[in-house]
Amino acid sequence: MKRRRSLFLHLSHIRLLAKKFALVFLFLFAFALMLVNKTDTVLIEKTSSVVTDVVSPMIEVFAIPAKMIAHGYDYFRDLKQIHADNLRLKEENRKLNLLYDKFKSLEIENRLLADLLNYVTPPKSDFITARVIAEEGDAFSHSMIAYVGDASAEKGQIAMSDKGVVGRVDRVGHVYARILLITDINSKIPVMTESSRVRGILSGDNTSFPKLVFTPLDAGINIGDRIVTSGVAGVFPAGLPIGRVVSVSKNEIAVKPFSSLEQLEYIKLVNYGLEGLLHDDGRPLNGGAADE
Amino acid sequence: MSDDIDENINSLFQRLLPLLSSVFFVLFSYLPLDFMFLKSIHPAIPLICAYFWLVHRPDLFNLWSICMLGLFDNIISAAPMGSSIFAMLVLYVLTNAASKFLTAKPFVVLWYGFMALSLGTILLRWLIVSIYYSRFLPLDGVFFSYLITVFCYPFISLLLAFVQNHLIQDEE
Repeated sequence: MKRRRSLFLHLSHIRLLAKKFALVFLFLFAFALMLVNKTDTVLIEKTSSVVTDVVSPMIEVFAIPAKMIAHGYDYFRDLKQIHADNLRLKEENRKLNLLYDKFKSLEIENRLLADLLNYVTPPKSDFITARVIAEEGDAFSHSMIAYVGDASAEKGQIAMSDKGVVGRVDRVGHVYARILLITDINSKIPVMTESSRVRGILSGDNTSFPKLVFTPLDAGINIGDRIVTSGVAGVFPAGLPIGRVVSVSKNEIAVKPFSSLEQLEYIKLVNYGLEGLLHDDGRPLNGGAADE
Repeated sequence: MSDDIDENINSLFQRLLPLLSSVFFVLFSYLPLDFMFLKSIHPAIPLICAYFWLVHRPDLFNLWSICMLGLFDNIISAAPMGSSIFAMLVLYVLTNAASKFLTAKPFVVLWYGFMALSLGTILLRWLIVSIYYSRFLPLDGVFFSYLITVFCYPFISLLLAFVQNHLIQDEE
């Protein structure tokens, strides 16, 4: 009896010890994952892409009824706005018709002048339209998952809405792609101000307003300046609209993206075929003799 | 024989229900819904689920469930791999340490408990992710995320309480 009791105590001690060890082991496991993520991004990327392909259909299933409810809510909210919107759109349409005539004549003039100067046109692009099925926005990361189907999405492609750049393709699975938004802390885009052509880097910081860094202190950037891609580094072509400067202080310049990143339903994944983006082993992603 | 198998499957399902329901809510939190204040910052649903089950059913939601939920959230999220697991483990340690103050207490006490423990968890995660990026993340986003998470706790816990009361049958 005594022996059985001591055996029981022994087992419970072992169990307690194992429980404590398990906790330490799992903490170490979490740290190890972070270290691997920092050093060997290929392994994490491949694993994450596969799992995203598995998990994303589940999110899509939930999205159907949830979106129906959200759309119903939007429908009744928008009903109030319809009359005012109608008047505004009529006025806007009248102005756009005038602008269209002006644009046509400018287009012809531009073509003639480009021919005269032997101007090299920017790279042609092809794009696919993808549906956003999941989005993530918290203090630690800003990304979304889009359904790309069988279309060939590639890492590094530019994600755009109708208003401008929203991010770039970060990971690609078989039918789903993860988009890293311009507000994410890992996003760094070479940009410039549209009017004064001052260059800098638009750096995300997990807030809704990415910051403009590496700009001269006396650059003369003002609130309201439009920010576009500069084309430096060859990942993004020059001139794509991104956002507008909303605050300028001694320490930081904040930019508000043109696109409402939290309201995107569809995005365009554009491939400009530029060679600035590299494979993980250093080869150019698009074109180049070393490419597969 | 067939009854035994059915019983085993049912028992396994019952034991996995806290984890499954948590996974369900985590998936739901990633839906792209344009809804009121949840537009740009989402609540930390995994923390709410983990805390609820650790307080109410620690027998069905153990260390491995915590780790699995953290890993699942980490895989969907673009946050550094391992940071969600770390946060969940911190919450596990804190909730276990405070369990005698939380067991069989009214809802308001549990809510206050969640406010305190989730604040510690989110701040520690902020610190570890800041070390990972070698720069401090903006604290206002962390604080806003914390407030939304605390605000959402009663609603999510109400749904989880439904799962606990109506779907989980205690073995006699």
